[in-house]
Amino acid sequence: MILAAVFELWSSAWPAGLTMLGLGSGFAVVLLIASEKLKVEVDPKIEQIHGALPNLDCGACGFAGCGQYAKAILGNAELLGKCAPGGAETSAKIADILNLQVSDSGPPKRPIIHCRAHADDKTIYAIYQGIQSCTAANALPYVQACGFGCLSFGDCTRACKFDALHIVDGLSTVDYDKCTGCTACSKACPRHLIEMVPFRYENMMTVACSSKESGKSTRAFCKVGCIGCGLCVKQSELFKVEQNIARFDYAQYQMTEKEEAAMNKCPTKVIIYRGKTAPEPPQPRSRTAAATKA
Amino acid sequence: MSVQLKGRFSFPGGVHPPEKKELACESPIQPGPAVTEVAVMLSQHLGAVCDPLIRKADAVQAGQKIGDRDAFVSAPVHSPINGKVKEIALRSHAVIGRGLAIVIEALPNNPTKRSHFTLPDGFDERKYSAEQICEAVREAGLVGMGGAGFPTRVKIEPNPRLPKETLIINGCECEPYITCDYRIMLEWTNQIIAGVRLARRASGCSRVFIAIEDNKPLAIEAISEALKNAADGDRIAVAPVKTKYPQGGERQLIRAVLKRYVPTGGIPPMIGVVVLNVATAAAIAEAVVSGQPLTHRVVTVTGEAIARPGNYYVPIGTSVEDLVEFCGGVTEKCAKVVLGGPMMGIAIADLKTPVTKATNAVTVLTREQIGRAKFARRQTACIRCGRCLQVCPENLNPTKIAHAVKHNLLDVAAGYYMNACIQCGCCSYVCPANIELTGYVKTGKIFLAREKKKMAE
Repeated sequence: MILAAVFELWSSAWPAGLTMLGLGSGFAVVLLIASEKLKVEVDPKIEQIHGALPNLDCGACGFAGCGQYAKAILGNAELLGKCAPGGAETSAKIADILNLQVSDSGPPKRPIIHCRAHADDKTIYAIYQGIQSCTAANALPYVQACGFGCLSFGDCTRACKFDALHIVDGLSTVDYDKCTGCTACSKACPRHLIEMVPFRYENMMTVACSSKESGKSTRAFCKVGCIGCGLCVKQSELFKVEQNIARFDYAQYQMTEKEEAAMNKCPTKVIIYRGKTAPEPPQPRSRTAAATKA
Repeated sequence: MSVQLKGRFSFPGGVHPPEKKELACESPIQPGPAVTEVAVMLSQHLGAVCDPLIRKADAVQAGQKIGDRDAFVSAPVHSPINGKVKEIALRSHAVIGRGLAIVIEALPNNPTKRSHFTLPDGFDERKYSAEQICEAVREAGLVGMGGAGFPTRVKIEPNPRLPKETLIINGCECEPYITCDYRIMLEWTNQIIAGVRLARRASGCSRVFIAIEDNKPLAIEAISEALKNAADGDRIAVAPVKTKYPQGGERQLIRAVLKRYVPTGGIPPMIGVVVLNVATAAAIAEAVVSGQPLTHRVVTVTGEAIARPGNYYVPIGTSVEDLVEFCGGVTEKCAKVVLGGPMMGIAIADLKTPVTKATNAVTVLTREQIGRAKFARRQTACIRCGRCLQVCPENLNPTKIAHAVKHNLLDVAAGYYMNACIQCGCCSYVCPANIELTGYVKTGKIFLAREKKKMAE
């Protein structure tokens, strides 16, 4: 009985099965021929380079992803060394593949945020209740009195693919253990506060302020802003004051007593260390005095 | 003979918020406070920022040019008072945040108030050539006084590639609260018409429409009356337009009056149209006839939280603080100060912000007023009611754009014509879910501009 039913099914199904089989093998032959005839020659080196890259697709090199970058390197060897997360190691690997000499690209670059004002340090004139994004807030004046400092709505934290940026008490803070130096944060900041700096040492000295206001205005807007007084310039020739803001020459960066002295002289304590093991930045004089009194 | 067109011209979309013009519309234009210090911003217009022409501690005369830039899209700035340059420092600016300003300390010999220009008898615009008019307009630093501040010379100068044929004078003043253009139309009627004739001569336009919203019947009447016995009265028509917001937007106005569309991403000259604000027209007359630069303007100080609302003829560079104090200060209910009207104006927190050429009003709102604003209540999810689509004067889909921007899909947002948005705020005004649609579109435009810049590098 069952056998009869199976036979019945088979007898009605075999033409369909055979047709599918025929079609399938027909197409397979077509595909086989096409794959041979229309083959795109891919340089095996591209595959190798792609394999050597970290495959994070972070965009630090300026290309849409690691695949695009791999192709570009093959065409133009000068593009070697643009992979920030991979660093020198990846560059060396790729150079091996391409039989090139790696030129020393210097120490890895890491972001430094040119602001050190936490929520308590800033003067706020009005309450902002708009869209919670730095770019949106920056389009409106006076979200906070300082027009140059960190807005702390976290456009940079959202841009970071490596969870290396966090808003800590109203200030964007870099976790240097996780940072790969992909520059996404520095591109996301509407106020251009984040500078990519070659980290020659574990901790780098920096002027953590971007305020181009006059000293008087800066003092009114922020407890820890650079007032452009020029005391640091007197201590070390690596500092210079332009547009009411002290800047540091990172090309000639070196740690000597002079720079330490400049740091200690700074009245608003805006010259601080940033880096993996950076000490807690000191508080400006007036504030510490007030704290001890209280 | 004059022509007053029949009917109510209008455009599809738009909203009609409470007008609130009664607060200041009865108050005639008065001289503003005697200032001790003015801060003249170097960026008061769209285009290249001026370079200062003077140094710290220099003495300046009223009307002296203190900043200029050799660029096509730019306008010089002038000192409104006799004084001494105190400093060139950063001051708050409603649009650019912090910008450089020339701070001038007034000298005691200042005339307390500037007497307003009166049109001489026997004025004839044919005495001035088109080049003369354009040059005078440029030298006087004229910019659009309706809010955007586009340099007027660029607008009215004849361009062989884009010949101009129609001039529309914008007297709509569709923003709630603001009344400065209304008072100018009532009080400086002849000056406006002289300015219109000069602008027509400079730009070579053959047709002129003066568009006025029909909630200002007195202004329509005053202008029609002044044109009644004019020889060229039949070439200047008064067009009453429907009272709604944003009737005064130049694209909307062209659609309403001429029934023509300015192409998306295009500008009015592409279809041969120039749109000028009434205050700009009045300033053109003054600049060409008397050679006086634009150093003063009419500002409406209004709102429920101001003691004495009114319209004041103030030096450009006067701080909002001085103005508000002159009007009796703010009442206890004050919650928000806006430069411009409540729909498109920008809220400011720093009362030291100076008045610029494009500042038409200072609106001081109470908590009850801003209680209706979107941010005050919590935003909820979009319920797809489609009201923003109904009111959008540019026929866009604000909710789609806003969602795309929120999720960082800039190409999608651009595909919905994000850059065609005029940021009038109608969609945010009607949204029952309190979504800041206009805010998202504005943010998206900034993101897109930045992305393009990155691509270019």
